[in-house]
Amino acid sequence: MAAKESIVGSPALRYEGEAKVLGYAKYIDDLHFPQMIHGATVRSKFPRGRITAIRYGEGIPWDEFTIVTWKDIPGENTIVHLLKDHPCLVQEIVNHPEEPIVLLAHPDKALLRKAVDAVTIEYEPLPAVFTIEESEAPDAPVIWNSEAGDSPNVFKTYLMEKGHVEDVWATADYIIEGEYSTGAQEQFYIENNGVIAEYSEQGVTVWGSMQCPYYLHHALQLAFGLPEQKCRVIQVETGGAFGGKEDYPSVIGCHAALLAMKSGRPVKMVYDRMEDMAATTKRHPSRTRHRTAVSKDGKLLGGEIEFAIDGGAYVTLSPVVLSRGTIHAAGPYNWPHLRIRAKAVATNCPPHGAFRGFGAPQSIFGLERHMDLIAKTVGITPEELRRRNFLQPGGTTATGQLIKDPIDLNGMLTRALEESGYHAKRAEFAKTNPTSPIKRGIGFATFMHGAGFTGSGERRLNSLVAIEVDDEGKPEILVSSTEFGQGTNTILCQVAAQTLHISYKDVRIAQPDTDRVPNSGPTVASRTAMIVGKLVEDASHNLLTCMRASGLLEETYTPEQFCHAALAYKQQHGELRATARYQAPDDIFWDDDKYHGDAYPAYAWAVYVAEVAVDTRTYMAEVKNFWALQEVGKVLNPVLAKGQVEGGVAQGIGYAIYEKCVWKDGVMANNQMTNYIMPTSADLPPIHVLFEEVPSIHGPFGAKGIGELPMDGPAPAILNAIEEATGVRFNHCPLLPEDIFDKLANPTLISADSSQLQPAVAGPVFSGTTP
Amino acid sequence: MIDFELTRVGTPDAAVQIAAATPTAQQGATVRFIAGGTNLIDYMKLDVETPQHLVDINRIPDLAKVEKQPDGSLKIGALVRNSDLAQAPEVLAEYPVLSQALLSGASAQLRNKATTSGNLLQRTRCPYFRDLAYAECNKRTPGSGCAAIGGYHRNHAILGVSDQCIATHASDMDVALMVLDAVIHVQGIKGNRTIPIGEFYKLPGTTPHIENALEPGDLITHVTLPALPETKQIYLKLRDRASYEFALASAAIVMQVQGGRLRHVRVAMGGVGTRPWRMPEAEHALEGQAPGEGVFRAAADAALKTARPHTDNAFKIPLAKLCMIRALTTVTNA
Ligand SMILES: Cc1cc2nc3c(=O)[nH]c(=O)nc-3n(C[C@H](O)[C@H](O)[C@H](O)COP(=O)(O)OP(=O)(O)OC[C@H]3O[C@@H](n4cnc5c(N)ncnc54)[C@H](O)[C@@H]3O)c2cc1C
Ligand code: SF4
Repeated sequence: MAAKESIVGSPALRYEGEAKVLGYAKYIDDLHFPQMIHGATVRSKFPRGRITAIRYGEGIPWDEFTIVTWKDIPGENTIVHLLKDHPCLVQEIVNHPEEPIVLLAHPDKALLRKAVDAVTIEYEPLPAVFTIEESEAPDAPVIWNSEAGDSPNVFKTYLMEKGHVEDVWATADYIIEGEYSTGAQEQFYIENNGVIAEYSEQGVTVWGSMQCPYYLHHALQLAFGLPEQKCRVIQVETGGAFGGKEDYPSVIGCHAALLAMKSGRPVKMVYDRMEDMAATTKRHPSRTRHRTAVSKDGKLLGGEIEFAIDGGAYVTLSPVVLSRGTIHAAGPYNWPHLRIRAKAVATNCPPHGAFRGFGAPQSIFGLERHMDLIAKTVGITPEELRRRNFLQPGGTTATGQLIKDPIDLNGMLTRALEESGYHAKRAEFAKTNPTSPIKRGIGFATFMHGAGFTGSGERRLNSLVAIEVDDEGKPEILVSSTEFGQGTNTILCQVAAQTLHISYKDVRIAQPDTDRVPNSGPTVASRTAMIVGKLVEDASHNLLTCMRASGLLEETYTPEQFCHAALAYKQQHGELRATARYQAPDDIFWDDDKYHGDAYPAYAWAVYVAEVAVDTRTYMAEVKNFWALQEVGKVLNPVLAKGQVEGGVAQGIGYAIYEKCVWKDGVMANNQMTNYIMPTSADLPPIHVLFEEVPSIHGPFGAKGIGELPMDGPAPAILNAIEEATGVRFNHCPLLPEDIFDKLANPTLISADSSQLQPAVAGPVFSGTTP
Repeated sequence: MIDFELTRVGTPDAAVQIAAATPTAQQGATVRFIAGGTNLIDYMKLDVETPQHLVDINRIPDLAKVEKQPDGSLKIGALVRNSDLAQAPEVLAEYPVLSQALLSGASAQLRNKATTSGNLLQRTRCPYFRDLAYAECNKRTPGSGCAAIGGYHRNHAILGVSDQCIATHASDMDVALMVLDAVIHVQGIKGNRTIPIGEFYKLPGTTPHIENALEPGDLITHVTLPALPETKQIYLKLRDRASYEFALASAAIVMQVQGGRLRHVRVAMGGVGTRPWRMPEAEHALEGQAPGEGVFRAAADAALKTARPHTDNAFKIPLAKLCMIRALTTVTNA
């Protein structure tokens, strides 16, 4: 009965690819509803203050406009994420620039724009903070107060401990300190945020470009005070997201719905690029401090890590971003003793949010840069240092999770270094660099990324998946998991087709519509392939069981027989539908208080190698070649998987050396494509994508998650390579030519800059002697 | 974008006649010619340009030719596309600096649309000029102030700036035209006239909204490049990424090396000035000298002596010097 060819693992064509290529896929701005008008947002132009007056200027026919303020909100004035601190519209206190205050709607877009400019908001300014340092300063103004009793301006803290790190300092040969920081990054999806909303007695409906229809569904219930059956959310074709359409559609979706309610007409809101860049979420800026005890033979004895992220003005998703960043801060290494203190702080910038990697790229950047510093200090190669400290099967992670999968990080490192010609290149560059104005270098990062929600997250999500057979006898997958370019539709159909032993072309997947699809959880956290894929596999089995129990389907069958049996079943029973609900594996345990246990059901593991060239005349660094080796379990679709890695590496290269968000008092000052520099294909090196496949019991056919992993490694690998090339340490990304210039052209700066100094307690202080 | 009228014309006379109705040929023009449209339409979409009348000049015959003139000069029609000009055999043979400059700009698709006259008149990419959310921009709204000076101005100019405007002139092509001593031919309401490129662009001074010497009705018909003795040429462009990006600093150089001495030296830079920046100080410092790093450095220092950086763009001074030195080194060794 086994299918002749395996569908899973084949490069099945993208489910919606033809519609996209031929241009008949409909994105939100392609949709027009009768009577539809346009919505726009009046935003704060200042970081923090109390509104004293809102004035509607002259020369605008205001009576033609629908005007919404917080007073029009029928339910709670909140955009609910984890807490309810984030207002839907400002009532009195503005907490960040670009904060929505007034909403306007009108049929004429050009007039709408003038009207937005004609609204002036007067306010009494309040002191504001814009960086982690300013937020945590002892004399900082209190801009956010925790109900949980944390310090002022702190959204969330975690303390993660393994062993007794106090005990190691005395016996360490070296104690090595370093501080690393990362900037914000714009998701830069091709299609900006946009929605259309409609409101009637039946309730509220929002169509939009988004990742998580049920997040918006929940937000609408609160803002409108409506029961869930009166809220409906439909995802339309979505032009990229990268996390940027995880929480933000709840904001723009509620806004358009409020305008629709008040105007009685459908309202479209689509941001333009400048507004989208300035007002919507970005990757959290971060700071990681390391203090590490190391033996003279390069063993990590213990460490303290302080990880801080800038959450912006409201909590939104910061606690979960912080959680993932905290757990990944330890990397794929064996730490006998470790303490991680993590915090997400408030600043008066627009809230930072989800972006591919979700905190992990930030803390992994710090760790992997720090590992190279440790190697240098101890006097062994970066390679050797990693080899001496890699996690092994049977070992435990920093959260105490036992590694059960047969991972072989040493073998992966060997392969990646061989494929990239690492050793030969190091030797060659050492010879050519002294006389060449172009300094070349090769560096790498080793890392892992957990698939699925952290800790008990999946248990709480309690995802549900259904498969229903349609009138043609074709199974249709019903999930809230969304397609936004990454391949959800395709891989889920592949899994169902393979499990049902029918052709890939005969499986359908429903448009995510909360009136129709069950909640299979959000499309985030590298969880779709593994968690939802597994549920689709389970539901497919349940469907077969049901058909067989009815006696309509034999043990072995052809696709045609499946179709006949399915139709016969429908005739007899009215419908043919099977579901599967998430069940936590019984060997997975997580303690939310102690932050201890099995943080993720499975991890993907990777070694990324970057080769760079730094031109010492222009101070421009370029990535010349890139190797990405990863173990991701079963590769469901090699073309899509490769695409994920290539795209992630490209985004990681942008994060490392191109994409800088410039802030002026909480306002993004370069919110245009002319001055926010994103690499183009001409800037990208050849990207060699290499897979290893160790099937995981947690995913369908052994698959794990892959979406976020490729974002984690490029930045540290590239900055490690730049240090190899130039001999100068850079501990912040993005690293722009001016930053390189500052240090390279100015040797005095190099010696005066503390990051170039020897570590605070540099060895050797040999074991046994008291420091 | 506001609503506008579109007229397609078949002769220069018709074009000039319609355009004569605009009160100004500078910011605020109510009639605009449309050539490739790659710059104008962008700014119309942003409501920075608000012409009520567009005159499509693409059907005027004979404006898309590159022709050698009897006196040895090269005549380039206003509608010659940037990609055609870059590949024209005469340009490749005698004016390679122009070809290199063109090919370093924008992207292949854009160069296929963009024209010679449109490139000459492309507007600055100053982000505050482009974004109506900023009320302050003297170039857009005279007297309103300059948001860039107190704002983020990493890519703004360091030469030719005033207290009113520090916007960079964005073109690559025009920098090459500076060292080639191009002459711009204009048909206006009062007849035909020529403007040497050195006199074409205006400094911002107290009138940043006035960018060039054009008057209402003026149509650029063609550009001529005087014949050149055999020279070495180079265009070197430094930018934030490899494609789709304007210069942070660029250098166009034309020179001869005769008996170990530099002769006929012409130097101009892009990305650093409020207009394409010819550098007579550097030319003086180089003319007649034996090539060498010290001489090049002295020339670069002389050329950037009057540079006036602001906070975010101070790096452009050393970068511009490096760019010029590297271009000089490369071209003398070529
Ligand atoms: C993404 C992007 C990247 C770019 N990168 C670069 C770069 O790296 N380097 C670079 O140099 N340029 C770059 N450009 C600019 C590009 O070179 C210009 O857009 C182009 O040259 C303009 O030519 P056009 O024919 O399309 O002009 P249009 O948009 O048609 O016209 C521009 C202006 O010229 C006027 N005009 C046109 N023809 C005449 C005439 N005959 N007489 C009088 N007035 C006339 C128009 O009225 C208008 O005001 C870039 C543009 C884009 C969009
Ligand atoms: S630099 Fe010039 S164009 Fe830019 S904002 Fe200032 S005045 Fe306007």
